[in-house]
Amino acid sequence: MRIIIESPQAGDEDVVIVRCASPDQRLISMLLSYQTANTELTGYMDDKIVRLNYQDVYYFESNENRVFAYYRSDVYEVKYKLYELEELFAPMDFVRCSKSMIVNMEKIDYLSPLFSGKLEAHLKNGEKVVISRQYVHSLKVKLGIEEVE
Amino acid sequence: MMVKEFFVSLLHYFVDITTAVLIAAAIFLTATGQQMNSVILWEILLSGFITALPSAVLLCFDTKSVRLSLILWGIHFLVIFGATLLMLKAFGWCSITPLSVLLTFLAVVCIYLFTCSVHYLVDKKHASVMNQQLKKRYSNAEQDK
Repeated sequence: MRIIIESPQAGDEDVVIVRCASPDQRLISMLLSYQTANTELTGYMDDKIVRLNYQDVYYFESNENRVFAYYRSDVYEVKYKLYELEELFAPMDFVRCSKSMIVNMEKIDYLSPLFSGKLEAHLKNGEKVVISRQYVHSLKVKLGIEEVE
Repeated sequence: MMVKEFFVSLLHYFVDITTAVLIAAAIFLTATGQQMNSVILWEILLSGFITALPSAVLLCFDTKSVRLSLILWGIHFLVIFGATLLMLKAFGWCSITPLSVLLTFLAVVCIYLFTCSVHYLVDKKHASVMNQQLKKRYSNAEQDK
């Protein structure tokens, strides 16, 4: 594979074009990750406005039409819809775990089953989040246990 | 995805409940020395399907509150208990008396616990595989750092 880097015309935005016979999934994931890593995620807490590092987010939760990013101990409101965050962070280690929550898999210490048929994710900060049965498949796909349907 | 999940759950509950009902029927017939009519096998299959249906429906509810979950599980249990009583009467398995209602209640509790335990053990196995993958994935990530 040849790598060609060209300077764009003055005033044009930077563009990455992948020209290949069949798209390499790893390359696409890498490019999407790069794009996500550059996404500005701003958190609001009282009067503070903070630039958030998505890698430090334990989970996103929507509550009464507001979405919050949970850090180890702090909670920031973010001005995104949950489905937007799901799309944005899909190439990263974030996975939908219920209707109202997206969890960072990197922050999961371990999983345990519940008697109700759901799974419980024990996070590294000691919190527990419930993974609904209908989202277990997407977690398994992310972990490479099951195939994408 | 949701529809597939529903049918997979329905199939799992149908198999688990039917197995539990068969075990209960085998114990009852052995203890009482009664002979079994072939039609009872179809009735057991039908009862397994009817009681699996509310179980699969229950899993479609993604509740956040523990209180609501408990209420839903309570309703679910009552629906299954009521359906079982109706089937007992419809299939003529026994007449409705206080004793038969009490025995049915105990049988439903046992079948309920059996099904939940089977699902719990299966989920435990899945969780263990997932934990191994998580460990593998993030020990690799730490090595990369």
